[in-house]
Amino acid sequence: MRHDLYYEERNPSPLQQAWLDFYAKPLARASLYTLCFLLFIALLGSFIAPFGANEQFSDALSLPPAWSNHGDLRFLLGTDSLGRDMLSRILHGARFTFGLPLLMVCIAGLLGMSAGVMVAMNAGLASASIKHLLGLFFSIPSLLLALIIIAVIGPGLSNAAIAIGLVFVPQFLLTTRNAIVEELDKDYVIASQLNGVSSSYLFMAIILPNIVKPLVTQFTLAFSAAILDIAALGFLGLGAQSPVPEWGAMLALSVELAYNTPWVMALPGLALFLTLISVNVMGETLRSTLQARMEH
Amino acid sequence: MIRIILRQLTVLILTLFLLSLLAFSLAYLFPGDVVTNASGVLATDVHYPAVAHARAFDKNILSQYLAYMSHLFSYDWGVSLQDGVSVWQEFKLRFPATLELSLLAMALALLLGPPLGILAAINHNKIIDQVITLFSLSGYSIPVFWMAQLCILIFAVALGWVPIAGQVNPLFDIPLVSGSILVDIWLSEQPYRGIALLNALQHMLLPVIVLATVPLVLLMRLTRNACIEVLRLNFVKGAYARGLSTPEVLFKHVIPNAMQEVTLHISTAFSLLITNILIIELIFSWPGLGRWLVRSIYERDYPVIQGALLLLTSLILLVNITTTIIHAWRFPRVRRELNAT
Repeated sequence: MRHDLYYEERNPSPLQQAWLDFYAKPLARASLYTLCFLLFIALLGSFIAPFGANEQFSDALSLPPAWSNHGDLRFLLGTDSLGRDMLSRILHGARFTFGLPLLMVCIAGLLGMSAGVMVAMNAGLASASIKHLLGLFFSIPSLLLALIIIAVIGPGLSNAAIAIGLVFVPQFLLTTRNAIVEELDKDYVIASQLNGVSSSYLFMAIILPNIVKPLVTQFTLAFSAAILDIAALGFLGLGAQSPVPEWGAMLALSVELAYNTPWVMALPGLALFLTLISVNVMGETLRSTLQARMEH
Repeated sequence: MIRIILRQLTVLILTLFLLSLLAFSLAYLFPGDVVTNASGVLATDVHYPAVAHARAFDKNILSQYLAYMSHLFSYDWGVSLQDGVSVWQEFKLRFPATLELSLLAMALALLLGPPLGILAAINHNKIIDQVITLFSLSGYSIPVFWMAQLCILIFAVALGWVPIAGQVNPLFDIPLVSGSILVDIWLSEQPYRGIALLNALQHMLLPVIVLATVPLVLLMRLTRNACIEVLRLNFVKGAYARGLSTPEVLFKHVIPNAMQEVTLHISTAFSLLITNILIIELIFSWPGLGRWLVRSIYERDYPVIQGALLLLTSLILLVNITTTIIHAWRFPRVRRELNAT
């Protein structure tokens, strides 16, 4: 540790402060670790899984988890009615239920936000009626819109992913546009404009730091909705098709079997529940810390 | 106020117009023959040329759209590709079933959500608040199809309190009149009406509760946050300083102000509910619109998809506009903001 000759108070930057606030909350930290773990599984799950996703063991049908009396230590979380290892299936499935929505929301966010910036910074037809109209149109829930798209392009995992990506683009566009338009009227922006900054500098250095909160909020909301939607589509049989170990599709498979082998239903659902709760806690805490940062 | 209503109605009509354009163009977007997609009449059918002519598919696109609209308003929504029943006739029976479930769930959510939120806000950071927050967090994150399955497993299979699925015990021979089971039982002039009603309510209990969870939790969270915000404001302190008792402050000053935020989000809660009803109807084999829509998507029954989407989205839009109008009517401050834009 280095001792300074001069007393100097170090204040963290606003972003650092937000991070410190975030990290100080145990629930938020737990959700952050869970999400990192999920990301790790989504990337490398297929390598660390003990068995293949569709590898069948005909000698071990419908085995309960290992800690029960009839369990087998080879299959830590039991097997399903076709003798497939549940642990491996869940590890493989993280890629579809967690990784795929993350990817689609990132793409949708990038497209939507850049389009929103273009619209807000350049266009003059920023009329309130158009805003209301679009706002009303996007109050239609994302799953219903995704269903329309799937009805057109047909069911399937890749089509479901495309549908979900497409659904979130306009939402990102609208949020970004509204956030920027709201800021554009404020005094500090007008002052910088009078200073004669270029519009790209105006956006990057002056407006962007102030619209972080709505963007982050929208991102986490969209991410949680996307996970739920892709699982729901898998459950309805319109997304991932049967042998794919997507958690929603696994739940759909277990509908008839749940009464005899409840773990087949409980485990993917629990995984999905933990994922969603971490995303939501993370989003909620980010929102409140960013809000606190704004108020400081 | 009149101006607001007129403006909202204009927006509604415009949106419905866009929606009808979308529904019309779906016939072109779906793979396969356009006339078949729009009407459900196969190209091999003898009526095919007549239907194509009636829907103006031999003329330009504008008259096709006009013909589509006139068919829409004369309740000729085509026939199902699967079993040849008239789509409108089927909707008339299925839509009330969906509406019944969703209205009951929404009523439950509205009845329980805001009071619990207020309760949590009063006891902010105490144990009640933490329990309610935990409940709201898990209710918000639980996938509805998993929760429905868990509930069936626990309450219907293990404990046997309620039936697993369906609308009413088929032993009660209830004639299908309106589609809504409670109304149908009421209309059927039969001696065992009371028992049948009880049975139907038992069937309805689990789907309604599962369906209500998500909107309930949303309303609860919003009420809690809004109440906490309002409780911090100066006029609450002022009200206490004037010597008002806690219930007076709560009911006269805090709750009316907190409800402003919540009222606007009733439509959000409703659209979440409509999303979930698709899944719930499938799990509980409820003979409603959602289950039919989902089934028609994987059986590629295009006239049904077209109609069901139109119906569900217009329902959501209608609720949305109504909420906005009520919001503006109840809260004059909002009216000024709406007028200013």
